[in-house]
Amino acid sequence: MSEEIAIRIKGLVTRFGEQTVHDGLDLDVRRGEILGVVGPSGCGKSVLLREIVGLDEATEGEITFPYFEENDIEPRRGVMFQDGALFSTLTILENVEAPLREHTQLSAPLRVHIAALKLSMAGLDPSAHHKKPAQISGGMRKRAAVARAIALDPELLFLDEPTAGLDPISAGNFDEMTRDLARSLGLTVFLVTHDLDTLHAIADRVAVLYGGKVAAIGTIPEIEKDATGWVAEYFSGPRGRAATRGAAER
Amino acid sequence: MAATATFDFREDDRAPVLALRGDWTVDTIASLEDDLSALAARLKPGAVVDVGELGRFDVAGAYLIDRTFRDSPAGKETRIAIRGQHVNAIKLLQAARKSNAEPAPPPEKLTGVVGVLDSVGRSVGAVGEEIIETIGFFGQTLTVLAGMITNPRRIRWVSIVHTMEVAGLNALPIVLLLSFFIGMVVAYLGARILGDFGATVFTIDLVAFSMLREFGVVITAVILAGRTNSAFTAEIGAMKMRQEIDAMRVMGIDPMDALVAPRVIAMLVMTPILTFGAMMSGILGGLLVCWGELDISPAMFFARIAEVVPAQHFWVGFSKAPAFALALAIIGCKQGLSVGGDVGSLGQRVTTSVVQAIFMVILLDAIFALWFLEMNW
Repeated sequence: MSEEIAIRIKGLVTRFGEQTVHDGLDLDVRRGEILGVVGPSGCGKSVLLREIVGLDEATEGEITFPYFEENDIEPRRGVMFQDGALFSTLTILENVEAPLREHTQLSAPLRVHIAALKLSMAGLDPSAHHKKPAQISGGMRKRAAVARAIALDPELLFLDEPTAGLDPISAGNFDEMTRDLARSLGLTVFLVTHDLDTLHAIADRVAVLYGGKVAAIGTIPEIEKDATGWVAEYFSGPRGRAATRGAAER
Repeated sequence: MAATATFDFREDDRAPVLALRGDWTVDTIASLEDDLSALAARLKPGAVVDVGELGRFDVAGAYLIDRTFRDSPAGKETRIAIRGQHVNAIKLLQAARKSNAEPAPPPEKLTGVVGVLDSVGRSVGAVGEEIIETIGFFGQTLTVLAGMITNPRRIRWVSIVHTMEVAGLNALPIVLLLSFFIGMVVAYLGARILGDFGATVFTIDLVAFSMLREFGVVITAVILAGRTNSAFTAEIGAMKMRQEIDAMRVMGIDPMDALVAPRVIAMLVMTPILTFGAMMSGILGGLLVCWGELDISPAMFFARIAEVVPAQHFWVGFSKAPAFALALAIIGCKQGLSVGGDVGSLGQRVTTSVVQAIFMVILLDAIFALWFLEMNW
């Protein structure tokens, strides 16, 4: 694991009116790691993701991309939103083609094939290629959304609750796919999730957001060792224990 | 930064070797496509890919190599032989081999004459269905309204008053302004044409007749069709898309009670009020033109109206307002409830809603005109 920092968040403060979501949050995401981000509902995980990709602006603090700035690379970002956010007027195949069409000079047939390949990597059956997002199930939309997020092989991949709503087998396949892609492409993955199995299976490190700050960060065993309060409850609750057991069995 | 993608092809003593250099990523491979397909035929079984000098490599690059192999005589082999070390080339080439990059064939579409006939037939069928559905919805709405009379507790007053404000009161300025201008235009027209006959005083009759009988109510209805109808469809349609309507149904709340009836009642109350405003404002516009251009004083203007325009003309125009209101509200709500799951259908339904509403207003107006003519009112 390299120690190059892909994303550096310093002193981040986010306020919505009276409500403070982030209160001086510091977080480093290393290049090439899969960082799982967990926290109670409403702790600002999704807001943090939106701020990193530039959709929202933080009240104070800064977000930088040190590795990419040093090497003068404009990091490509692939984002998979919680509900997929597929373009509803385009077919599934066209959705995955869209970023390729905008950002590359690939010929049309090659583009279609690469889009189909990404869809196949995301585990989507070709029968869905020419359907509109409204015509397929929620789980399939998720896969299509992932395929679109990785269409350009982005350096930074942001996944917002990718396995929520998937059956356990698909979720497992999805985890495997994310890990393989991340390893082989050297992707940095910022993974917002509540799926403890996913965390155990693929996250190199886990950051726990609590009280507007990063309450704990490290590998799961490290966090579990000196966990207190909400963090302890999260990892040692019945679901946490089951996931730990499951991971140990694997 | 990104190094250009290139390759060397060597036919060694034993196996052909394809040596990759530079970055093979989605940004760089576009130019290689033709060269590689030209090469495919020469990749004999046992061909080797040398990745020793390969820079960055991604799925798109892997796909291109994989496709070249698939199209070649070496395509049957389950694995691509790889020489040299690379961080991810082996994994990616394997992943590309495993996955299926064949897009599904596009669904068949009818073309030519058959296609035209097919789409015409479908459109006609859809129109017929739409008419039946709208009439059905009209009946359903009447039933619900009748049910509310027998059981007034079902009436949602807050919702009605809110809609009256948003859809009715807030439309008042624009309705007044536009009918004022129309009144002026009619007066100018009258002054121009009737002046030729030395009958300028009849301009007053023209303004009063047209504003009271037709323009007041039709302008109001057309503005409401554009302003309120579209809002009804969009609101209800968005609720439908976000499953709010399903949530209501599951809770035992009838969307007809909660969404449709309040809108229909609010429109039934507000449209006549707006119509009255439009009539008055239009006549005022006419009055100003008569005063300024034709030297007809306001006192004379009103005296003439009182003398030659009986109240019957006001009632003819005014009586159309509730009918238009009913048509507008029902079309708006019906189209909203017909929205499907995607954004495209929302846009389509809002368009349909406005078009249908304006169409119905004009059609009803024509039927009324015929009726009033026959009745000699």
